[in-house]
Amino acid sequence: MIELALILCLLPLVAAVFSFVLRKSSAWLHALVATLAMLISALLALIVFFHLYHRHAMEASIHWLALNHDFMLTVGVRLNALNNLMLVIVTLVSLNVMLFSYGYLKTDERIGIYYAYLNFFAFSMLALVMSANLLQLYIFWEMVGLCSYLLVGFWFFKNEAARAARKSFVVTRLGDAGMLGGILLLALAAHSFNDSTQALLAASGNLHLSWLSQPHLLTLAMLLIFLGCVGKSAQFPLHVWLPDAMEGPTPVSALIHAATMVAAGVYLVARLYPLFQLAPGVLETIAYIGAGTALLAACIALSQRDIKRVIAYSTISQLGYMMAALGIGAYADGVFHLLTHAFFKALLFLAAGSVIHALAGTQDLFQMGGLRKKMPITFYTFLAGALALSGVVPFAGFWSKDAILSAALASRHYIVYALLLIAAFCTAVYIFRLIFLAFAGQSRQPALTEHAHEGGWEMKAPLLFLAIFATFAGFLNTPLNDDALTRYLEPGMPMSEYQNWPILSMLISTLVALLGIAVAYLAFQRWQAQGSPVPPERGRPWWIQISYRKFYLDEIYYHTIQRAGRFLSMLIDLFDRYFLQGLVRLIALLFYGIGNALRMTQDGLLQSYGTIALAALVVWFAIAVFRAGGVF
Amino acid sequence: MVHFFSHGDSLAFYVLALIILLSAMLFLQFRKVIYMALAMGAIFVGCAALFLLLGAVFVGIAQVMIYAGAITILMMFAIMLTNHEATESVSAFGIRKGLAALGAFLLAVILLFTIRATHWRQSLVVNTDTQHNVDKIGFMLFRQYTIPFELVSLLLLAALVGAVWIARQTKEEKQD
Amino acid sequence: MTTVHIPLPSVLALAAILFCIGLYGALSKRSLIIVLVSLELMLSSVNINLVAFSQLGAFPNLRGQVFSLFTITVAAAEIAVGFAIVLAFFRFRKSADADDANSQKR
Repeated sequence: MIELALILCLLPLVAAVFSFVLRKSSAWLHALVATLAMLISALLALIVFFHLYHRHAMEASIHWLALNHDFMLTVGVRLNALNNLMLVIVTLVSLNVMLFSYGYLKTDERIGIYYAYLNFFAFSMLALVMSANLLQLYIFWEMVGLCSYLLVGFWFFKNEAARAARKSFVVTRLGDAGMLGGILLLALAAHSFNDSTQALLAASGNLHLSWLSQPHLLTLAMLLIFLGCVGKSAQFPLHVWLPDAMEGPTPVSALIHAATMVAAGVYLVARLYPLFQLAPGVLETIAYIGAGTALLAACIALSQRDIKRVIAYSTISQLGYMMAALGIGAYADGVFHLLTHAFFKALLFLAAGSVIHALAGTQDLFQMGGLRKKMPITFYTFLAGALALSGVVPFAGFWSKDAILSAALASRHYIVYALLLIAAFCTAVYIFRLIFLAFAGQSRQPALTEHAHEGGWEMKAPLLFLAIFATFAGFLNTPLNDDALTRYLEPGMPMSEYQNWPILSMLISTLVALLGIAVAYLAFQRWQAQGSPVPPERGRPWWIQISYRKFYLDEIYYHTIQRAGRFLSMLIDLFDRYFLQGLVRLIALLFYGIGNALRMTQDGLLQSYGTIALAALVVWFAIAVFRAGGVF
Repeated sequence: MVHFFSHGDSLAFYVLALIILLSAMLFLQFRKVIYMALAMGAIFVGCAALFLLLGAVFVGIAQVMIYAGAITILMMFAIMLTNHEATESVSAFGIRKGLAALGAFLLAVILLFTIRATHWRQSLVVNTDTQHNVDKIGFMLFRQYTIPFELVSLLLLAALVGAVWIARQTKEEKQD
Repeated sequence: MTTVHIPLPSVLALAAILFCIGLYGALSKRSLIIVLVSLELMLSSVNINLVAFSQLGAFPNLRGQVFSLFTITVAAAEIAVGFAIVLAFFRFRKSADADDANSQKR
């Protein structure tokens, strides 16, 4: 099994190297190699998943570096319930993205590089998921960040894309710095980077340093690590990079949002869950940050005009759900939502990509309209994704979202529940606003939408495939089958806890979702009746303006953090320029002076050298004579 | 001092020394190169006279022939072949020249004081027999110092050839 | 065999003064020819010392005079080569000044 896992992880790397070396060859070759590699990887992942379904975790490591007698760095593979599930999700979503990318980018001449990056991205994520220790995980974590930087900035000749890539890298870097600190703290205390060792030590109360007791150490370390997850999974203070990352090609957005980049943060929290549970206060923090982010991002998404930005904020919001689920102790529900979200969000992005592709790059919702008849497959798959996102009964999102909500209710986190419920309402509103604006009614820019048509089979197939998953993936974990996924992830849990149907919670969330759809429909009807093709920039009501400007968070960051950073840099610059540089210059000047003085003696004239030799001779003679004495 | 003046040869020595030092002063004073060469000739002749006075006949004669004769004439030739109008600049009393003068003066002072402070055991019996001097030097050269003598002849030959080779006109210069 | 009444220190002092004059000349004169000749003056003053010790030293013998002969020979060889070099230099630089014998940039 370990060998299979290694092969499934290394196949994308091979494909990446292939695409990189032969980047001048034709587009279909890259797509074929990438898709085939990912197909085999996905099959292998399924084999690994089902083979180890009922067994214990497997782990294999080799020594890498011996730092000390008692500190050994290792590299290895770990296959446990969570990791295997992640392997399946990552490979399945990547497979669809690989296929779709061909349709989306086949005319781009740098498609070879694109596929190299994409495969490398998938490889990094798979390796991250399989890592046996935190150091290894951190390395691949950074590689995921690097790939996302490269792919978001794939069209680097566009100024916005380059800036967005930089922003995504720097913002996630802020979190990563904290995360590294947390990992090092844990490793120092446990003398190992292996997180299961750390968890065992912590469970027995032996994880501490001489100057830091276990509760404090765990709280500090886990908060720092969570900071990394906040950056990666775009939670509240550090979420600003994700919407900007929309500048990359749309399939990349699908990959980032569904399977690779942002899932890593949630995955890490889930993976280190035993440690998080032992750290007092941290899970509460995670729950509130997650719930707050879910509501905040959903509110912002209500008024965005860019089709991709709406979905991007939706991702932030859904990641907030996952974090909140993990925070309130609903571990399996959080991971379950990660799974369903991966499918329906990849579907939404790919469908949006299909729309953008059909409209030759237009992303403004107000320029679309009436696409339902032109692009039926895209419309119906998008609709499936939207229903899943809103949480309407049989679709995937309903089961996972409702599980989280009922868990919040069951664990008496009423504030979290309220926040998430409002967010769920907003979710239904914004995603159906998007559907009505883009697909319903009449075309507002006939010249633009006239030639809109479906993409080729390579674009339709992933949409259909993902639509099936988005519709039915929820049945993996319902009361109908005894919460199979929960029992898979948490085999030690007592059965009784999952056998009763949370009828009340289900009713409420379904009602809320339907209400949201209705509100979206009414608002759209009214707006359609007014007949204005594009709403004016000015004169929005203030609450829409706040939402449209993303609660002014970018501006606030600009005026606080960026200004402060600039001021600090200026101080350092002054210090550097006038103090350090002055010091350096002084030393340089000293030696320059000495050199200049010595240069005077080296004038190349024979007689000068003779004179100097004479002076030396006289001095030498004088000393000798004085030492002998009796002369003068 | 008075004791030394009482003898004719010591008086002659002081006169000679005075002449030599006077010539040396003139050598330093002259501006024209050709005059300097003449003053140098005078010094060399004075030295030869001093050797004769000391009874070193062979060295004295050699000094006259080589220094006062050959070298001074060679010097004249060299001056004539180069820029014979050249003069020492009057104002050129730079830091280097001052330092050289100071160093030379201090060296002279140190040497003179050292000479004065040393007790010299002097033999008052001197062999001034001319015939004997030349004979003995000849014997020494050809018996005791045969190999150095031959080596010196080799050196002279090498210097001769080398001087001719260095001073010859090259082909490019002939074409000019 | 006669008695000579020349005081040895006076001869040595004369040689020392001549040596220093030669040194000063070698270090200060501009003409390369004069510089070379000043060197000869220094050698000559050394010869005075050799002869003086040979005749007036504590144990008079002829070795000093033989040595001074060698010195004279070597000096002659030196001056011949030296003048040849000066001539070559003069043809090369159109000058016989010591200050011009300098290939450094100024």
